[in-house]
This record gives sequence, structure tokens and C-alpha cells, in this order.
Amino acid sequence: MEPSRIRNFCIIAHIDHGKSTLADRFLEQTGTIARRDMAEQVLDAMDLEREKGVTIKAKAVRMAFTAGDGVEYELNLIDTPGHVDFGYEVSRALAACEGAVLVVDAAQGIQAQTLANVYLAVDANLQIIPVINKIDLPSAEPERVAQELVDTLGFSHDEILFASAKEGMGTHEILEAVVLRVPPPAAAEGRPMRALIFDSKYDAYKGVIAYVRVVDGPVSTRRRMQLMATGLAVEPLEVGVFRPSLEPVPELATGEVGYVATGLKNVKDCRVGDTIPDAARPAAEPLPGYRPAKPMVFAGLYPQQANEYALLRDALDKLQLSDASLVYEPESSVALGFGFRCGFLGLLHMEIVQERLEREYSIALLATAPSVEYQVTKTNGAEAVIDNPAELPPPQEIEEIREPWMDISIICPDRYIGAVMELVTGNRGEFKRMEYLQHGVIQEDGTKKGEGRVLLEYRVPLSEILVDFYDQLKSRTQGYASLDYSFHAYRPASLVKLDILVNGAPVDALSLITHRENAAQQGRQLVEKLRSLIPRQMFDVPIQAAIGGRIVARETIRAMRKNVLAKCYGGDITRKRKLLEKQAEGKKRMKRVGNVEIPQEAFMAVLRLDK
Amino acid sequence: MREPIGLYIHIPFCTAKCGYCDFNSYAGHEHMIPEYGDVLLREASLWRAAARGRRIDPVFFGGGTPSLNPPEEMRKILEGLRATFDVAPDAEVALEANPGSITTEYLRALRDAGFNRISIGVQSFDDEELVALDRIHSGDDAREAFAAAREAGFDNVNLDLIYGLPEQPLEAWKRNLEEALRLGPEHLSMYALTIEDGTALARDVARGRVTPPDPDAQADHYEWTCERMAGAGREHYEISNWARPGHRCRHNLVYWQNREYLGLGAGAHSYFDGVRFSNVLLPNRYVELVGESLAEGGERRSMRHVVAGETVTPETAMADTMILGLRLLDGVSLAAFRARHGRAVDDVYGAVLDEFVANGIIERTATHVRLTPRGLLLSNEVFARLLPEPVV
Repeated sequence: MEPSRIRNFCIIAHIDHGKSTLADRFLEQTGTIARRDMAEQVLDAMDLEREKGVTIKAKAVRMAFTAGDGVEYELNLIDTPGHVDFGYEVSRALAACEGAVLVVDAAQGIQAQTLANVYLAVDANLQIIPVINKIDLPSAEPERVAQELVDTLGFSHDEILFASAKEGMGTHEILEAVVLRVPPPAAAEGRPMRALIFDSKYDAYKGVIAYVRVVDGPVSTRRRMQLMATGLAVEPLEVGVFRPSLEPVPELATGEVGYVATGLKNVKDCRVGDTIPDAARPAAEPLPGYRPAKPMVFAGLYPQQANEYALLRDALDKLQLSDASLVYEPESSVALGFGFRCGFLGLLHMEIVQERLEREYSIALLATAPSVEYQVTKTNGAEAVIDNPAELPPPQEIEEIREPWMDISIICPDRYIGAVMELVTGNRGEFKRMEYLQHGVIQEDGTKKGEGRVLLEYRVPLSEILVDFYDQLKSRTQGYASLDYSFHAYRPASLVKLDILVNGAPVDALSLITHRENAAQQGRQLVEKLRSLIPRQMFDVPIQAAIGGRIVARETIRAMRKNVLAKCYGGDITRKRKLLEKQAEGKKRMKRVGNVEIPQEAFMAVLRLDK
Repeated sequence: MREPIGLYIHIPFCTAKCGYCDFNSYAGHEHMIPEYGDVLLREASLWRAAARGRRIDPVFFGGGTPSLNPPEEMRKILEGLRATFDVAPDAEVALEANPGSITTEYLRALRDAGFNRISIGVQSFDDEELVALDRIHSGDDAREAFAAAREAGFDNVNLDLIYGLPEQPLEAWKRNLEEALRLGPEHLSMYALTIEDGTALARDVARGRVTPPDPDAQADHYEWTCERMAGAGREHYEISNWARPGHRCRHNLVYWQNREYLGLGAGAHSYFDGVRFSNVLLPNRYVELVGESLAEGGERRSMRHVVAGETVTPETAMADTMILGLRLLDGVSLAAFRARHGRAVDDVYGAVLDEFVANGIIERTATHVRLTPRGLLLSNEVFARLLPEPVV
């Protein structure tokens, strides 16, 4: 197809503002998928995505659309994830586009990720089409939200479109706007071939499938290619487009979006963000526009059954194919045996990886409490990076510890300012600034009509917002607040390691790094939680918390006194054995540390500490 | 002559179903009683050939409520069994009975028919506790039932009691046991109340209507019981059973000694010729399927009413000997184990047993391995470790 008749665009939105539903309507209206074949949210193919209502992976689809000028255009839609954890995936998708449809909920207005996504789109030089969605809702206030878009983001009233993706209202106009406003891909004759990998997945038959945006074409199976970062040669098995299932085509022209089946078996050889040039005529420059994913949250993942270690390693390898932001390396724990230290973009990401491993690969996992990455300067001048509390050097060897701080922005109705302020400062947060996105109106009689909405900006240590912060924010603002965050800097902090001793022996997987002031209190809470989470054993089990060898808290799990079957079950010995087998199964799901059996929940107990 | 086998007869009928009960029993099916007795004997005839050459002792009628059967029905069944099998002349012939329905006259008729042991489901002497357990009799009914049994000439009587009810104070349990001791039965079976899956009680607990029993309180009740019973001169011979010397329950010993038994009736379990199996649960299906089995000609392989079976492997048989035998306070005889299984106990279980010896749960004597007094209440911890490795 002529580049002038190609439009590459994505949809960006805060979570739940209707991005996936709008994508569904586009597929329907362009006849890409017949109405009767539509499943809800076609592009959210993963079970987990549908369940959580969150797009996790970027995806692409090609649509044919005949615009008002009577010309048929090729529209490539790249769907982007909506959760803040997946900002990296969004940036990759944006780099493959020239335009973005910005969807804003007509009742909720601008939310934290609306802003974050707009900034990303502006950075990527995209033409933005603002759309106010869900105008059919009884609580919709399209005019108010339009004013917000004008005031806050500088759009003009004329360029804002109104739609209800659910009802199919206004969606045709959006596609027209995409054709009219989004520039076609730039085409230059005679440049060496280059394609940008914006996503990938693994296929058992075709190997690694790279999702590409062709910058300079054409791309076809007749060409030998190369991967710029790794230098590996690729003889593509197939090139094709997304409709939305994979459909082979002879070649992908300049400006088109499609896939290259590389035949590569190792995911690590095909890096998302890499450039594919022609092997015979390599382009000089890789394509720009990608930020490498930086994991922010770290946790140990261990198989519950030691013999599933290899299975877990293979599963992580495969998962990494479709999730370039997942990093991991082998580690071992005295308590848990052999496993992997994994880095995640955020807690949701961690949860999703854990669930995918358990569901798609049937591996029973044990996860340690998540940690951030600390920088340590030792007294001998050496620098260390610590993402596992167990590895923190002893206090006398530490000159300074630095922890990551985040810039966070919260948007909420102004009546919650106090509640948000209290939450953030209670988590060592620093106030940066506040901006009214919209003011309530003071009426003649002095009462206020409508509510004001504010943007609050803070700096907070990442460790403080890692766990429970978002839930707390939601509950203190009755669900009205939205949150976005990005890395700010490392800052020195007064931190200590809190060790937990079970039956007299330190359990490395239960250690945590915490602020010195809170340490003793957290120790008390933690041993209390552990006392309720670790089942009674056949002997008394002391649980202690220690800071640098000094015991700060102690609880005792009293020995179990009774575990007996009273009856003989009418001679049903098979049943008796089954009951015992169930008990034995339950024990297998626990980790034996020394001679104490510790359940998975205990390793996550630190997550449930109050501040 | 091979060793004798036990005979268990299941009578699945009850006037009402108790909240804690998870046995195969049904209220409102009493109309089936006369027909059911006939079918039991038909089922017995199916096993006649297979049981040839095997002495029967004991015979036990359990339920359900066997004492719902009229005396002539019980006599008919017992006589039919004697005609079919080689029941030992001095066999223990026992039945379970519930207070409230049994009169001296009724029990005398059973005594005449050949029953020589009766187990009365007293559970508690406290009327409020009885209501909480959904029992349909009173404490007085229980006292009268015991008196009736004595009057009818039963000199081997067991009382079943339940301790550790939700929120039951130790004092309340003490009153129950003292009352039982005053009556002076030969045998006492005392069970901690257990919340069994699928019972009305389990649902009440799940809905928060009933506080689940406190295991520590149950342990307190149990420990006091052990002391009290020793003081009363009763032998504590199995985790939940005490007897005057010479009155251990032969029927239960069959199970604990991992010996074989044949179970007749709906849902009855058997361990026969090295196979564990069970009959179809529902009484009306049982009646139908026994009919079909007979029509098939009574070949062992076409027992249509037998619906589940497990061939006991040598590993499982060893585990069963341990798991069942350790419930006896004498424990498992090292010599008997070797004679039966051809291997030494320590050869198979030495490492695990050592671990529990170190914890004070298991002790060894020159001839036996057994649970310690503390181990009695923690026996499942041991048993769960003695199971054969599952075959994957």
C-alpha cells in the first residue's frame, strides 16, 4: 500500500476509560471481524487480561477503512496497556505510530495516567485526537470534561470528539479523524531497509515472532536480515499482518505494521526495541525512540517442589519472550533452596507474572516479599546494588545506603486533599505542588456547586508505595483518586535490616530492609503476624525479630496438642488414608525451614504490616 | 484354618439425622426395613462360597440405628447369617442402639436371639448438649436404656460419649464421664467432636452459627479423661477406647489389627482377600443391585452392588498395619509385623520413627513401637508420614 494511504495509530487512556471497547468497535466497523465473531474485547486475548480488565500486552491489528473521500485506507491500530506498571509497553507502541487517540471518560475526566500517556505521546511526536467517551452514561459531563481538556492539556474545543464506544456512537467520526489528522508514515526512496520491533511473542512452529513497524521497506522473506543489537542473521520464515490473527503477505511496505516470523528459538536474541536491517545492506543507524524497561520491584520466586526448578527456569525463559520487561537471575536461599531473583515493573506486573507461571505452566510458586533496589556504599569505598534484603552487608561495613524515590502524581476531587496529604506524608512523602484542574463554583448564597479537582504532586520513597499504597489511596478517596508515578532519584536513607529468627535460626527469606525509626515496631508486628500464619508444630516455636543481632520482638507459637482422627469411619480405611493424604499434601505446600513448616503466606506477611 | 474374619452388618436407617453425623444413614426410610433384612441375607448368600473355611468372629450390627429393627427382624438376620457362614459359637455378637427406643422387653428378645454385647449411643447426659447435637433422646432416656440393657441380661455394655463440644467447659464434660462411670459399663468409647465435611454441623460452623470446637480444650478434656479412667481401673487400649479387663471390643480390634472383615449392607466396607471395597451407598440402589448381582449368578467378579475397590499393595498393607496398629496403646508388635510383611518395621520406617522418637511422640520398647501418651493426640502427624509414596 502507498504510504500516503497508511495510518498508524494507537489508543491511549487511563484504565477503564473504554480503550478496549473502542478498539472492538473499530474492528467491527471496518469489517475486520464480523459482528457475530466478536468476543468482548477481542484484543485482550489473555484470560488474565479479560479477568483483570487490563490490557497487559501491546497488540496490533490492520483494518481497511473507506473514508469520506471514497479512498480505502489501511489503518494499523496498536493497542496499548493501560496500567502504570506497563508504561514501557506503551512507549514501545507509541514509537511505532504517527498518531494517538486519547480516550477520556466523560464522567471521570482527566486521570493521572491520562496525563502520563499524553506526555509520552507528545514526547513521541504523535498527533493526538482527543475523544470523550462514555457520553451515554447518566453521570457523563462531556462539556465539563471538554473544558478540562482545553484548560489542562491545551486542546481546542473544535478538535475534541464525543463518543460512546459501547453504543457505537461517534466511532466512525474517530476513524475519519484518524485519516484526516494523523500524518501518513514518512517515505523516503532508496534508503536501506529498517524495521522497528515493538513487541514479540513465541510460537512453537515459527519461533520468535517479531511485531514490527517498517520504517524503510520493503520487508519480505526474500531478504536476509539482521538484528542490530545482537548481530544475529535472520532468514524470515514468513512475514504478515494482523487481522487480528496472523495472516501471511508477500511483503510489508514502508510504513506498514506487521510481523516477521524469525525462526529464532531464543527470546533473548530478539530484543523488543531493536532494529532489523537488511543483512546485505545494513543501515547505519538504529531507530530511536525506545526506553529500556527498568525493573523497579524485586522478589524471589521459588518452586514449592525443589524438583520443579528446571521447569521454572524454562517457564521464565518462555515468559520473557512475550514480556521483555521481566528480568531474572538464579539465586539461592538458605530457607527456600534454589530459585530466581526476578525484577518487575511494579506490583501488578509481579502479580501477573506469578499468576501466568502458575496457570500457564502449572508450577506451584513461593514468592518472597517484594523489595526495591538499594545502592550501598561500603566503608571500604566499594559500591553494591542490593535488591535482596538478605544480601545487605552488616551495619559496620556500610557507609551509606540510598533508596529509590519516585515522583508521584495524584488526581482527585479537592475534598480529599486532606486524606491524600495524610496518606503520603505518613509514608515519608514530600509535597511538591498542587494544581487545580477545575474549580468548584461558589454560588450567590455562598454554597459550592460542583466540585474542584486537583493534581497533587509528591516525592515518595518507592519502598513506601510498593505495597498497599494504591489500595489505601483508593479507599481513602472512595475510589476517586488516580495515581501515576515515575522514577525520581536515589537518595540517602537511614535504613536497617530486620532479621526474623524462627526457632532460633534466621530465615533469610523473611528479612526486610526498613527505615530505622519504624524497625522495632515493624518487627513487633511482623512476629505477631507470623505467629498467626505459621501453623502450630509439634514443639514450641519462638519467632523473633532482630536488628543487628539485638532481639526487638518475640512471640511463641505454642506446640500443637491435638491432631487425631477420633473414629474408625466404619471400617473405611481407604477414607482414613485419604484424610491423612490430604494432611500430607498440606504439609507439602509448606516450606520446611530447619524443622519448622512455614506456609507461603508467611513469606508475604511483611506485606500486611500497618504503617 | 485361616484366621477368622469379622462380619459387619450396616443398617442405614435412623429416625432423624444428627448434625455431626457423616455416616451412611437416612431418616424416613423405615418402610424399607423388612425388605432390607431379606436383601442383607441375599447379599450374604453371594459371599457364602468365598467365605468358606473362614471362621466368623465377631458379628457387629452398626448404623444408622440397628435398634430400629424389630426384634424378630434382628433374629431373622442373625439366624440367616449363622446359616450362611461359619459363625463361631462363642463369637461376640454386638449391636449399636440409641436411647429412647429400646425397652427391656426388646433387649431381652435380642439377648435371646444371641446378641451378647450392646453399644449405646449416649453421647451426653446433658439435655442441652443433646439438643445441640440433634440427638432425639434425653439424658434420662440414656440412663433408662442402660438399666434396660442390664435387666435384659447384657453383661457387656459399651457407652459412646462425645467430648469437646463447642464451648463445652471441662466441668461439663467431667459430669458426663462421672455419670457414665457411676453406671459402670464394661466399655467406654469417647470421641472428640469432629466437624466432618458435608454435615449440617460443618455448614453451621461455616456460617458462623456454631463456634468450632477448640482443639486445646479437647486436648484438656482428653488428658483429664485418661487420668480419670486410669483411676477407675479401666484399660486404655486404643486412642478413643477404654475397657474393663477382658472386655475390649473385638469388632474394633479387627480394624486396628488390620485383619479382614466382610461388610454387608448399603455402603458397608470390606477388607477381604487382600482387597478393600465398599457397597453402593443408597439403600434403594443397594436393594436393586444385590438383585442384579444374584441374577448374574453370584460370581465374585459380577458383584454389581460393590462399587468401589482398592487392591492393597504390599506397601499400603504395611502402612495400614502401622497407621491402624499405632492407635492401640500396645502399639505395633515388631515380631508380628515381620511375620506378616516379611520386613522389619525399622527397615521400612526407621528414619521417620526416629524423628518422632526425638520429638517424644513415639517410643520403642524391646518388642513394640508405640505412641507416647502425648503422641496419642498427635497421631496424625505420624500417620501422615507413614503413607506410601503416591504412584504418579
